[in-house]
Amino acid sequence: MWKDIGGREAGQIRPNSFANRVKSHRLSTLQLSNYKDIVSPHKGSINSLQVDLTEERYLLSGASDSSVAVYDVQRATDYEGGGHIAKHRSVFVVDKQHEHGHKYAISSAIWYPVDTGLFVTGSYDHYVKVWDTNCTRVVMNFKMPGKVYRTAMSPLAASHMLIAAGTEDVQVRLCDIASGAISQTLSGHRDGIMTVEWSTSSEWILVTGGCDGAIRFWDIRRAGCFRVLDQSQSQLGRRPPLLKRKVSISKSLSAGQNSSVKPRAPQKRSANGNGVRQSSVGRIPAKGSVRQRLHPGMLSSQDRATAHYGAVTGLKVTEDGMYLLSAGSDSRIRLWDVESGRNTLVNFETVRLQTSKPIQLATTQDPAVVFVPCMTAVKAFDIWSGKTCLTFRGHYEHVNCCCFSSQDQELYTGGNDRQILVWCPSRLISDGVDAGPMQDQDNWSD
Amino acid sequence: MKNDTNSDSSKPKKRRRDEEIEAESSSSDRTLSLEENLTFSDTLVALRIMRAQFPHIDKVSIRPFILQSQLYSSVNDRTQVDRELESLRRERVLRVFKLNTGQDDHAIMFLDDYLNQIECVVKRMEEKKQVNLEVFEWFQTHVLDSKLEPSVGHEELVSGSDCSLLSIVGKVKDEHISLLINAGILTRQLIDPDMYWFAIPNIGSVLKGLSQGRKEIISFLNRRKYKEMMLALLEKKHLRFSPLDMRFHLRDLIGSGHLKTIHTPTGLVVQISKD
Repeated sequence: MWKDIGGREAGQIRPNSFANRVKSHRLSTLQLSNYKDIVSPHKGSINSLQVDLTEERYLLSGASDSSVAVYDVQRATDYEGGGHIAKHRSVFVVDKQHEHGHKYAISSAIWYPVDTGLFVTGSYDHYVKVWDTNCTRVVMNFKMPGKVYRTAMSPLAASHMLIAAGTEDVQVRLCDIASGAISQTLSGHRDGIMTVEWSTSSEWILVTGGCDGAIRFWDIRRAGCFRVLDQSQSQLGRRPPLLKRKVSISKSLSAGQNSSVKPRAPQKRSANGNGVRQSSVGRIPAKGSVRQRLHPGMLSSQDRATAHYGAVTGLKVTEDGMYLLSAGSDSRIRLWDVESGRNTLVNFETVRLQTSKPIQLATTQDPAVVFVPCMTAVKAFDIWSGKTCLTFRGHYEHVNCCCFSSQDQELYTGGNDRQILVWCPSRLISDGVDAGPMQDQDNWSD
Repeated sequence: MKNDTNSDSSKPKKRRRDEEIEAESSSSDRTLSLEENLTFSDTLVALRIMRAQFPHIDKVSIRPFILQSQLYSSVNDRTQVDRELESLRRERVLRVFKLNTGQDDHAIMFLDDYLNQIECVVKRMEEKKQVNLEVFEWFQTHVLDSKLEPSVGHEELVSGSDCSLLSIVGKVKDEHISLLINAGILTRQLIDPDMYWFAIPNIGSVLKGLSQGRKEIISFLNRRKYKEMMLALLEKKHLRFSPLDMRFHLRDLIGSGHLKTIHTPTGLVVQISKD
């Protein structure tokens, strides 16, 4: 460590690589924290955790007993154990007794990306609510047709304030905070939608994973999805090779790309009826008998490619926006290259993953590690090789969600045992003790 | 990259001849222990050696196949296994089939073995005087060549016949597809009603033995006090419900994560893995 600092001082190591070395060293020493504890007031399993995006100071948790709580993870509320252990109690709790609170389990609680003045919760009682943090009042209410599994807001959004909600209904709904109404519905999935994520490179692109095993990419400015990920289309390596292209047979029908031919295709199809001939004009191979005329943007709904052999239970886009990680109920985790839409065939050694609830994955950027809740443990995998770096065993029951704070290199995990555990880089108990605010005495003699 | 795979595939052939002779002779001597030969360096080497070690089953004539989980336990890097399998699949050296015995079970068979298997089935159908065997030729020459994935959609199968250059079948009708399903070459699974999955014919009893054998080993180890046993001793046990041998099952269970191996001073110990 000192050698690195000396190297940085002398200019041998560049600032970014110095910061990355320190971060990856701290990451490799992550363990159950012995100096920090979050006291969870929840009486049900914890389904969602998120640290706010602006300061990484407030942790928001949503639980199955319809309660939402916020904790300050940087300042402790009190100290125990002679000033050694910092206890973080909740800043406030909202539960069923609140006049406008949720009635059933909360499946997703997220911060408004711009500041911590608002947060959004989605629950199994079919409602998505927007809350004002300071007064803890419900500001807006959106009714959904089914249980809400996930809500998401884009961290990059500069021109829209849309909440994407994935429910057990087949359509993704976009709720607008500015107008208070549901502004768009995206159709294409054939079963409920378990996860939604916004892209980290564009404010208009949404990725959704459904119970039918498909992962679809949507551009919300257009109708229909523009890409469906297919697990059999793969590339060997992080990026597709420059020279070798089109090796595997592509059977997916990409709707968004042949826009110039669109108006001709439906007419040709209805004229042929049951025809299986390739249209000589269009570049789209005819998909057999089509019963009704579909809007050109909806051609992707006939694409039945699956990304997993079961439901897609977790999605995470990496911070640079280039790769997508998906976890499925077939106990596989796949890494997709967003640009080419192919499976990079990295094999993550998982035995079993939770199948009934959506799980929340967390990634770090430069050491490129992904944290995945695998039943009662959380495993950290190296993204490029798929090997397990670390395993965190501490929960008594299944872990549902994990959240990594990249500023402090701390991991927060929540599970069915109603606990939120903090995993910190190890620190000797003797040094680093700042003696707490209680013993703030001057040390000159008098 | 093409040159690399060519030279890579020629090297294992030489190695294979030596090691296959050694494997065959020593498996007859029963001195080849799983402990010494658990891992290999290369996927193709592992595939060939495991194909040579495939147990001989009396009642069913079946060509050797390898499970994907066996490969994961035999080569250290799983990502390398996946990528090499993908490139071998694209070069049409082998085919991958999805099995219905579990969530993510895949079987790998070399292409010539698969074609031999189809030939046996066709011959048997010929003896029973069933008509219209041209479908199988069309299947072998066109479908297997162009559709490399483990599954094929109904539309693609039906529309693919248009591009055939030979005039055997004008258009693939439902009777032809039923013939293929009866032969066991195509099958449907519960996931999607519109997709056909390629399958290995005559494999039903072997798959049943596979799942029963897995359950037997897991329950045997669960009944022991510490849920573990020395690999050398476990290997010698004889399975009652499965025609496949213990070595086959052990590779499969270790690769799929149900069992794990621990190095001890006295050798490898196999233990049921928690979580």
